[in-house]
Amino acid sequence: MENEQNSPIKEFAPQLERTSIQGYAWIIFLLAIIGWGVYAFIQQVTRGHDVTGMRDNVVWGVYIVNFIFFMGVSYAGALISGTLHLFHTAWRKPIIRMAEFITIISLLIGPGYILLCIGRLDKLYYLVLFGRIQSPITWDVIAISTDIFGCLIFLYLALLRDLATLRDYESLQLPKWRKRIYKILALGYTGAPEQQKRLKRATDIMAAMVIAIAIIVYSVLAWIFSVTLQPGWHSTIFGPYFVIAAVFSGSAVLIIAMWLFRKIYHLEKYILKKHFVAVGVIMLVLAAFFGYFTFSDYLTKWYGSEKNDELLIQLLFKKFYWPFIISNYVGVLLPLIVVGIAKFRTITNITITAVIVIIALWLNRYLIVVPTLESPYLPIQDSRPEWFNYGATWVEWSLTAAGIALFCLLFTLASKFIPVVQVSELQEEAKPEEVLV
Amino acid sequence: MRRSIKTYLVLLVGGISIFLPFPGQSQEKNDSSARLETKMTLNYLCTSNDTVVLTANLSIKKENDVFVLENATVVFLASAGTNSKTLGKVITNEEGTAILTIPLIDMPSDKDGVITYKTKFNESGKYTASEAFFTAKPAKIKLSFSIQDSLRYLKVDAFQKNSKSEEVALSKETVMLYVPRLFSLLKIGEIALDENGTGSLEFPNDIIGDTLGNLTILARIEENERYGFVQGQHIINWGVPKQYYKAEVPSRELWTPIAPLWMIITLVIMLAGVWAHYVYAVYELIMIKFHKKKDKSSF
Repeated sequence: MENEQNSPIKEFAPQLERTSIQGYAWIIFLLAIIGWGVYAFIQQVTRGHDVTGMRDNVVWGVYIVNFIFFMGVSYAGALISGTLHLFHTAWRKPIIRMAEFITIISLLIGPGYILLCIGRLDKLYYLVLFGRIQSPITWDVIAISTDIFGCLIFLYLALLRDLATLRDYESLQLPKWRKRIYKILALGYTGAPEQQKRLKRATDIMAAMVIAIAIIVYSVLAWIFSVTLQPGWHSTIFGPYFVIAAVFSGSAVLIIAMWLFRKIYHLEKYILKKHFVAVGVIMLVLAAFFGYFTFSDYLTKWYGSEKNDELLIQLLFKKFYWPFIISNYVGVLLPLIVVGIAKFRTITNITITAVIVIIALWLNRYLIVVPTLESPYLPIQDSRPEWFNYGATWVEWSLTAAGIALFCLLFTLASKFIPVVQVSELQEEAKPEEVLV
Repeated sequence: MRRSIKTYLVLLVGGISIFLPFPGQSQEKNDSSARLETKMTLNYLCTSNDTVVLTANLSIKKENDVFVLENATVVFLASAGTNSKTLGKVITNEEGTAILTIPLIDMPSDKDGVITYKTKFNESGKYTASEAFFTAKPAKIKLSFSIQDSLRYLKVDAFQKNSKSEEVALSKETVMLYVPRLFSLLKIGEIALDENGTGSLEFPNDIIGDTLGNLTILARIEENERYGFVQGQHIINWGVPKQYYKAEVPSRELWTPIAPLWMIITLVIMLAGVWAHYVYAVYELIMIKFHKKKDKSSF
């Protein structure tokens, strides 16, 4: 009982035990947005893809942008949590759980957007029955499903000790069914040396695996574009470029999540400025890499003076001028300035920068998808101007908002079930002698 | 506390406002009582086997968008002066199209043999009535093929019908020649008809046909003020037989039956490597549980 009094879990008990009025209002608000998204989805299913802005020429739009974005955020979560775990980074403890949540939740939402792109959902199983190994789409299906399994196992391994802590924490005022779930999921983990050894071994292996899979899977996603003969896509650096962009966006999402949970659950004691600066520095390095890749890609295209590449670059600097500037200039330079110069390095500044980075990277994905499809190598016969000029409709925006709302909702619900900070690791930190026993 | 209530109210109002209808939605409700205007178009095609194909398209305009009208009854008529004949009734398909194919027998025509075709949609429920007309004189194109001095020739004979339904030469018009391809028609030439309604063309010998070399030839008089759209059709074995590419080794193309060996090996190695690690991690989890049971039994 004395142990329980000193346990860090005591501080997380309120968030697990009860939900405030604001909490309920937040959940209702998110459900309302999701409900609106369901209405938009029904419209799309009953009236067909005509209700979207996608046409014969621009066959991909905001949905695929969201898919790339969420998958990127997911892989970033996996890379960050895997790397922090594998290298036993000292400051990882308060933020690693959030990175794991980001991984799984994004991974569950992202592929949903692919389904929204498909006109004949009833024939989706053909992909499994008749899918060919030569097709990058088949690689993507295999890779994403493999990744989902890997991330779930990794998350579960990372949760195991906290589940055991929650099971053993008797003062926690929770319904019986929830305690029972903790008991089942904890697998009888008691922290015996043999169990610790096995858990560490499995977690280390899975941490290495999720890093490798995240790189492979996001490269596969990039190859769907780069193996296609389209201006702007057919690039050899697309694989690493996508991976860098993914981790860049993931670091920004992690900063925003840290700021939100710090504010909402009053975790100022655990999530410190040094954590924001540490993730901010990761974001800075990735911003530099991202800027380097972007410049390298566009410079070679521009210098090559190939007709369609030139048309694409003209399109980016005219029709898509502001998105291009925000995506490739503001999104790159801002983290370098804010995190790079010590004077600007505050929690609020880093968080605002992270929000701008997220917007910039979403726009980056939009600029990869839409302008290219608007300037194809082979024009389609009898094509109409409205088929060339894509504009997302209210249905697409509604489903985009619904995806973001679902992400927030699942994150909120997950934080109600498991503390957003790894309490078992903090417990060890508090009593190092017990760990050595 | 005050701040919390304020936040709560903002969220609540925001949540409720999501469900409020857009201004456009209520407008739609008010407009639903007004009749929607329909629009009809009629296309005419006279074929070489003395039949006419009439295609009517029915659409409605709603809030600056054009929608096709499905399951609507379209009446087809032929007339000349006061003489009128109902040709038939057809229900529009999901594309708003009603097609009627009818033989050129006992058609009412004027003294020059000109027939006026009419399609009509009667007003019903929330839609207004609409109609469309097309006036044309029946005509026909016949195709014949010959080989002279190892050169291939395509000959076209065009006819029109007079008021006594007798075939007479259709002269001084231009006939376009096409071969249908996968997405569109490939133009292979055009023939100017002489006074006898005849013309010929040396047939190109490099057009790819099907695997047997069969080609479908279309001869057309298009959008003519007097004859409308006239078409003759013939299939002949004058094309170059299509040779399907057969890869000697499995390649990256999606239509090859099997993927390249290096691709299969790479995929198998990667998947086996990854899933073996998953299995190992799950095995360790099982052993953690098993360890607990072992502990209990030792008590």
